[in-house]
Amino acid sequence: MIRALRTRRVETAPFLLLTPALITMLFVVAVPLVFSLWASLTPYQLTKPATLWRFIGPENYRRAVTDSAFWIVFGRTILFLTIALNVELLLGLGIALLINRITWGQRTLRTIMMFPMMFSPILVGFQFKFLFNDNIGIVNNALQSLGLTDQAIPWLVDARLAMFSITLAEVWMSTSVFAILLLAGLFAMPRDPLEAAKVDGCNAWQVFRHITLPFLMPFAYIAMAIRSLDVARAYDIVAVMTDGGPAGRTELLWTVIARVGYENAKMGQANAIAFISTLLSIAFTWHFYRKLVAARRYMGGAA
Amino acid sequence: MKAIQRLVLCTALTALAAPVLADETRGDFPGYTLRVKLIGGAQYEPLYAEIPKWEAATGAKVEILSRKNHFELDREIKQDIAAGTLDWCVGSNHTSFAPQYGDIYADLNGLIKPEVIAEFVPLVIQHGTVNGRLVQLPRHSDVSNLFYQKSLYEDPAKQAAFKEKYGYDLAPPETWDQVKDQAIFFAAPPDFYGFQYVGKDEAVTGRFYELLVANGGAMFDDKWNPTFNSPEGVAALQFFVDLYNAKAVPAGVPNYLWDDTGLGFASGTVAMDLDWGGWSAFFNDPANSKVAGNVGLIRAPKGTSGKRTGWSGSHSFSITETCDNKEAAASFVTFLTDYDNQMVEARKGLLPTRSQVWTDAIAEFEASGNTFNAEVMKTFQTSMAEDAFTPPLIPEWIEVSNVLWPKLQAAIVGDMTAQAALDAAAAEAATVMHDAGYN
Repeated sequence: MIRALRTRRVETAPFLLLTPALITMLFVVAVPLVFSLWASLTPYQLTKPATLWRFIGPENYRRAVTDSAFWIVFGRTILFLTIALNVELLLGLGIALLINRITWGQRTLRTIMMFPMMFSPILVGFQFKFLFNDNIGIVNNALQSLGLTDQAIPWLVDARLAMFSITLAEVWMSTSVFAILLLAGLFAMPRDPLEAAKVDGCNAWQVFRHITLPFLMPFAYIAMAIRSLDVARAYDIVAVMTDGGPAGRTELLWTVIARVGYENAKMGQANAIAFISTLLSIAFTWHFYRKLVAARRYMGGAA
Repeated sequence: MKAIQRLVLCTALTALAAPVLADETRGDFPGYTLRVKLIGGAQYEPLYAEIPKWEAATGAKVEILSRKNHFELDREIKQDIAAGTLDWCVGSNHTSFAPQYGDIYADLNGLIKPEVIAEFVPLVIQHGTVNGRLVQLPRHSDVSNLFYQKSLYEDPAKQAAFKEKYGYDLAPPETWDQVKDQAIFFAAPPDFYGFQYVGKDEAVTGRFYELLVANGGAMFDDKWNPTFNSPEGVAALQFFVDLYNAKAVPAGVPNYLWDDTGLGFASGTVAMDLDWGGWSAFFNDPANSKVAGNVGLIRAPKGTSGKRTGWSGSHSFSITETCDNKEAAASFVTFLTDYDNQMVEARKGLLPTRSQVWTDAIAEFEASGNTFNAEVMKTFQTSMAEDAFTPPLIPEWIEVSNVLWPKLQAAIVGDMTAQAALDAAAAEAATVMHDAGYN
């Protein structure tokens, strides 16, 4: 009897120890998630709290998925994420490799490199909005002064240029995230394989391609996974620079969600769109996680 | 001599007694803490420096819970409504935002003395009234008038060339058709533009709306069906499209907001600018503006119906229904909008809402030889009294605006015709109104 009680106590102990974490998870993650799922099935308006209790089924989802404009925005968001993340990875890798080779002033450069991350995204948005202003912006003034154009280039109006300008602002602010994580990877890299490769007669490109890069890829995928979720911060930049316009040319899921949820106060509809966009985040995270596992397997646990 | 001494003594005693009398009218709320949420920003802050005077007079304390721009404050208030945390008393408000908030704000007709309300410009009080309830006491108003570069109109060569091309004299425009002619005439892109306009968010909706009204159109019929895709609406939108196609406005206007148009005119690269009164001091300040000393101002031009554009709104203060001391809140709101405090704001270039402040601020500018500011105030006083109108005061205004402005942009940048863009927006607006239970 005593042994049975003792066994039960031992069995329940792990659950008891996990209880605080489970309760925290319940309130921080599960409850808001269930609440927003419920809200997405109602015509919930922030300014009319009673609407939260009127169930309308999947009507908000039906409206979103049957709207062709929604799918255009969905596709543009995927394109924006893909381009921004890849450009940030390439630039971050280049910066990390360059800083890794510096022997004097490296700490100062690392600090300077982090400056763009310290700015609020709203501030970055305003900064780039005025840089790209077609009439009084410095970019057009410089191009005209240098004789490269005699036109006022509509950076924030033309569909491609506007997305380019927003991507540039995003890349300027966040490339250092990649650079820092990849630099940490370079610092953690063992010297033996590099020296062995050199002894074997590998040139610099071969060393980079077959040793450095595979070692860094797990770090790159971790950075990609974090940034694919974090890039939603670009909402502030887009909201300030174009607010999704003109004529929806730079509209992303986050600008739609914020407008519907807060300006229109239709939180039920906004939650439905947010849940669909969550699929996007899950897809990106799953993709990068698979890549991370594959990269680690390739390295045989070295990274 | 004795008479003079007596007069001086009387004046001194009156001056000493004045604050005491004022204190009595403010009420007595010792130990009470009034919780408020106010709009923040450089031009709004000088008024808040006066708050300690109200605290000293009443014995109450003011706790400022928020000091954000209007859009962030709007978001926070909506969250408070949703969460049921309206545990504060006074909030900054705006005539365009107020209808959204339902019945969270008290009717000030029962809280503010009628003789105080009577001291405000009647039209502005009317704009602050939603469904027959005065839900806000106006702090200062906004309406746009047309700024222009005077030298362009005084140049004999330009006068002759314009007359030859258009057949009438070059003078500051009286109608929007004349604005179009002159904007195209003055434009020399990419160095100089005839006109500019804000091109996104509620800003472009407002500009379209006021031209629609000035052309004789309306946003809705009496059953709240959207009617802005009428011929008047198409003509209003075509004005923006034509200027864009003629390159008479900067190519970036579909992305412009108030700071872009203000800074653009101050840069000296734009001939005319329909803008708010608050910019006038900036435009005429040589430290900030290349057009300082060359700024002319006229009332906003007329549309095809003969009515002037006059989209207007007022910043204001409201008192929550849940406030635990509405008397103190009413005293505070009355204080913030009283004669002295409105004079403080008028000297900074904000447009007052009290009739007497208009008169006295103009007199003060004239007495100090500041003829530009005096003229600016006179022009805006006339337009606030005669031209100003608000958007429809319904909770769905912002939502309707959010379906309309992307379509206005689509027409401006050439993705759709004006008629097709407005028809599409009207269909979406009809859904918004239907969902809201109007029809």
